[in-house]
Amino acid sequence: MPLDTSAYSLALLRVDGRRWNELRRIHAQIRTQAAADGSSYLEMGHTKVMCVVTGPSEPGPRRGTTGGAAAGASKAAAEVAVSVVVAGFSSVDRKKRGRGDKRNLELQSTISNALAASLHTHLFPHSVIQVSLHVLSQDGSLLAALINAATLACVDAGIPMTDYVVACTAGSTSTYAAGDESADPLLDLNHQEEQELPGLTVATLGETDRVAVLVCESRVQVGRLEGMLAVGVDGCKQVREILDRVVREKGKRMVLEGTVVKGEGLEDMDLD
Amino acid sequence: MASTQHVLLSPAELAYLHEALSLTPPIRPDGRAPMQFRPLVAETEILPGTNGSARICFADGTEAIVGVKAEVERTRGYHGDEQEEGGEEEEEGGEERREGEREGQGEWVELTVEIPGYRDDDAGTAFLAAMLSEALLADGRFAKKLWISRRFHWKLFLDILLISPPLSYPLPLLSLTTHLALLSTRLPRLKSEGDEDPFFDDDWAAAPYLYPQGTTTTRPPITLLVMAVGRNIIFDPSKEELAVADVVLAVSVGEAATNSASTKGKGKAIGGMDIDSAAAQPGRSLRLLSVRTVDPPSRVTPPGMPNATNSAYGVAVSVQKQPEARTVEAQAVEGVWKAPRGGAKPAVMAALVQKVLERGGVADEVLDALEAVELG
Repeated sequence: MPLDTSAYSLALLRVDGRRWNELRRIHAQIRTQAAADGSSYLEMGHTKVMCVVTGPSEPGPRRGTTGGAAAGASKAAAEVAVSVVVAGFSSVDRKKRGRGDKRNLELQSTISNALAASLHTHLFPHSVIQVSLHVLSQDGSLLAALINAATLACVDAGIPMTDYVVACTAGSTSTYAAGDESADPLLDLNHQEEQELPGLTVATLGETDRVAVLVCESRVQVGRLEGMLAVGVDGCKQVREILDRVVREKGKRMVLEGTVVKGEGLEDMDLD
Repeated sequence: MASTQHVLLSPAELAYLHEALSLTPPIRPDGRAPMQFRPLVAETEILPGTNGSARICFADGTEAIVGVKAEVERTRGYHGDEQEEGGEEEEEGGEERREGEREGQGEWVELTVEIPGYRDDDAGTAFLAAMLSEALLADGRFAKKLWISRRFHWKLFLDILLISPPLSYPLPLLSLTTHLALLSTRLPRLKSEGDEDPFFDDDWAAAPYLYPQGTTTTRPPITLLVMAVGRNIIFDPSKEELAVADVVLAVSVGEAATNSASTKGKGKAIGGMDIDSAAAQPGRSLRLLSVRTVDPPSRVTPPGMPNATNSAYGVAVSVQKQPEARTVEAQAVEGVWKAPRGGAKPAVMAALVQKVLERGGVADEVLDALEAVELG
């Protein structure tokens, strides 16, 4: 289904009614599951993912994970083993993706590298942090949603990290070179836009402009890349705000319920 | 996902656990009654992109999600399609049709189980999927619901995801979640008639449920895990309890139609038990669909060593190559763990199955609880 770009130039509204710089609705929950060390649930529009973190723990004889978990964890730092399971019912037409699927493997290694750079893995030598991600529903920006969910679950698991790794997608309204002047960068692509338009996924370290992940799988004029990247990085900051609010709210609730003790130096924390 | 998951318990702990569970009444590590299920949280229709979906969380934190998706598929081997298919293919299809329609109908349901950290072709995972689909197809009525016309049928894809790490043998959890997902499954209302190309109503609100609401006669089956320790029968065992089980059975039960006499379960079923005679009693009449023995992890636990033969207690023991092998063969000593060996007694098996099918028993209770889950 082609995206009606002419309609965009008329009203500057996208197919789902958003403007160029608007994110879809993001809804997140942490600590969704009692048995896991850390868990989260994240919705970005209709993309829904769940994440469960186990560890840091002693590497067991686990199979079916990437990153050489079977070979044993490296000695100096904990290893981040990511497994992504895309449910058969997640897309409109049922498609079964095997565990050895190349796209899956790439997602796994991208997330693993991004998290390993931000988590303080050197504090846990000889151990493995097992991140398992489940995709329940897909509507574009899959990698971004997976990275955000994994970050939230790591926060819940209490693994020390430098900052949130937050991700977002960005695209451009026009695919052909002639439309260069009228091409607008777009924030947070949905599935339909992802099919039609050039796009990239960018992840940054918290509120800084430091890019942790940059994935671009489509052809795009090099002149538009800068604009897309700027919009993407800006979107990441918005995502960080949202995730941070989720973590704070959960933390507040846990303090109020008495699940955890209020930390030192938090007298100014607003508990109302 | 093997049932023979290693539990880090010492022989002394296993002996203690075994003894506690063989008392009358048995004392379970989590304080439950022998017939008591773990509490659970359930919700349905959580994913709008599926025909039906459900999520169940057990109190121990294990969680599963099941999504059901349906596709229209051309029925193979229908003679009206001769002009489209090659002669050879048509012949092949025709043969299959003659062999028996039921086998062909079993293919209309595809069930996959995903367990994090395990390959999807892992033996344990495949066994779980086989047990679940076997129970579903055993009553023979399920596949008939997917019939559209002589040329087309629904193909139902059941994707079962275990979200949490597998803390205990997840069979009951997956079975109950599948049950709920099937209950919430809706298929678009058919508008076309007869054998013409199927044409459906695009109003989702008008879509009928696969299992019609209100009538309790037809509901998907459930598979329960039952184990025996000594003469005690314990339902819904936890991982630790499985580690000392003598026998573990996966029993699938469905609801018998109230009007027609319960027909015998086919396949692996031991046979329909005559329980309809007790119609006056409260509760529903249940029907046995299949029974599978599950290899309990207790068989691979290390044996304990009695003090009498333990050199650490100052007993002079003659030099022997394999002291462990000797203790295994030795007579059972009170308080010393010895892995159960050999098969189960027929009387125990019969008692296990009888207990599941009991009117007003555990299966009844579970079905009642699942019925109370609101759809939508």
